[in-house]
Amino acid sequence: MVNLFKRMRKLQTILDIRTGTGAAIFPSPTSATKEFPPVTRLHLTYARKIYNGHQGARHFWRNCLPRLKYHNPGVRMTVQQTDDQNAPPALTIYFAERLSSTASAIIGAKKIADKHAPAAESGEKTAVVDLKDLTYKEIWSRVQASTGAEEVPASAEDEVERKRLEAITAKAGKDRERIRGMRQAKKDQERMLAEARGEVEKLREL
Amino acid sequence: MSSYGTALPTVARGILSSCRPALREKSIAPSFSVFQQVRGAKSNPQARGKGKKDTKSDRKGPREFRQKNLKDMEQFALCDAMRYLRAVEVGREPTVSKYEVHIRLRTRRDGPVIRNMIRFPHAVQTESRICVICPPGSKQAKDALAAGAILVGEDEVFEAVKAGKIEFDRCLAHPDSLPALNKAALGRILGPRGLMPSVKTGTVVEDVASRVEMLRGGTVYRERDAVIRLPIGQLGFSPEQLRDNLRTTIDQIKKDASGLNDRVNKEIYEVVLSSTHGPGFSLNGEFKTDNSPETSALTGV
Repeated sequence: MVNLFKRMRKLQTILDIRTGTGAAIFPSPTSATKEFPPVTRLHLTYARKIYNGHQGARHFWRNCLPRLKYHNPGVRMTVQQTDDQNAPPALTIYFAERLSSTASAIIGAKKIADKHAPAAESGEKTAVVDLKDLTYKEIWSRVQASTGAEEVPASAEDEVERKRLEAITAKAGKDRERIRGMRQAKKDQERMLAEARGEVEKLREL
Repeated sequence: MSSYGTALPTVARGILSSCRPALREKSIAPSFSVFQQVRGAKSNPQARGKGKKDTKSDRKGPREFRQKNLKDMEQFALCDAMRYLRAVEVGREPTVSKYEVHIRLRTRRDGPVIRNMIRFPHAVQTESRICVICPPGSKQAKDALAAGAILVGEDEVFEAVKAGKIEFDRCLAHPDSLPALNKAALGRILGPRGLMPSVKTGTVVEDVASRVEMLRGGTVYRERDAVIRLPIGQLGFSPEQLRDNLRTTIDQIKKDASGLNDRVNKEIYEVVLSSTHGPGFSLNGEFKTDNSPETSALTGV
């Protein structure tokens, strides 16, 4: 089994799941308002490679979706990776009963269809957001604006923890530099000695 | 070396050549001791005790696997660990990602190890599809179908395979249809995929039905370096289902440990829940805490 301390260190990455871009709670049936109906599902479709503007969608999956899933464990989220580079990456948001008031403005006039998204169940309304050429932060701001998701601020302990981890990372960078210098100095020394020895041999051969 | 030889006077040459064996010995010696460390330490007592360096490698390590104190390790309730793991696995194929459990044992380095098979109350494998080659219409064919094989027969299976339609992950054969199988010459197609039934791999059996049953439900596990690792659930499982599976596993492992030998003492030290892509969460034995979400929220995709 992996060393306990390595495991403990690795486990600190769950801080990244709790906090960061996308750590927010969607309106649930209890907290929904007239403006923002509850969100029931999300579906993301993007292509395998990044060209034609598929990068942000993948980053959204990597960065934001775990946080969203952590804070909204009941909201189903699916991701479909395709080989079709020309189709635009799309995020389908499923609302219960009706679209939110801001959703249609966010989607814009250009409607796209996502053929990989699961069909809406009865009573669900879908809004398909075109993600082409958007960064994941832009995608997140759109999702937030259209669903009315409420950001979860990082708690004081999490903040302290994050600072501690950042300090460790900074220290690691410095240490790496220091060790690299030491190793380089040793290598230089050895090379110099080898060269000197070579000179002696040359002299001897003469 | 030869260039030296010509340039140097004869005396010097003599010195050099006398140096040579000494040099070589020195350069070889370390590699020898490494070799002994690797396999000589226990298996070859005669090789021990030559030279000074080896006395160090003779010393045995600790008798038991060292297990660190868990007091600094953050431990989680099952529902909380699942919440994190589901977040990590978001968007993955639900049939591919699995919950895994790693059970660490406090045990000696030598001695017997636990190895057994388990049947979970909720099957982990997403229906491994099994093909059985046996005479169609026979009793075995019926039994195999009843046990859950998806493809049973002789000629129709061969036809399908030759046409490139391989819609199964396991292939069994009955000894009666072995000649037909060999005649059909499927080794070219099935062989590279590891699906060709053969006596050597134990996939040619008399009692096809029970074998199908076993392949479908059972999970084989064994202890390696004081850890037992096994998949324990699909990502879509509810916390209750996972708890049932976990309980069954731990009960059986305790039973295995007590059934081994009187002198061997093995006990469970830590239970770690992980997933295909996730980190390991040490479990504290509780089901849920006040902060955990509803169990219905932790089910499904």
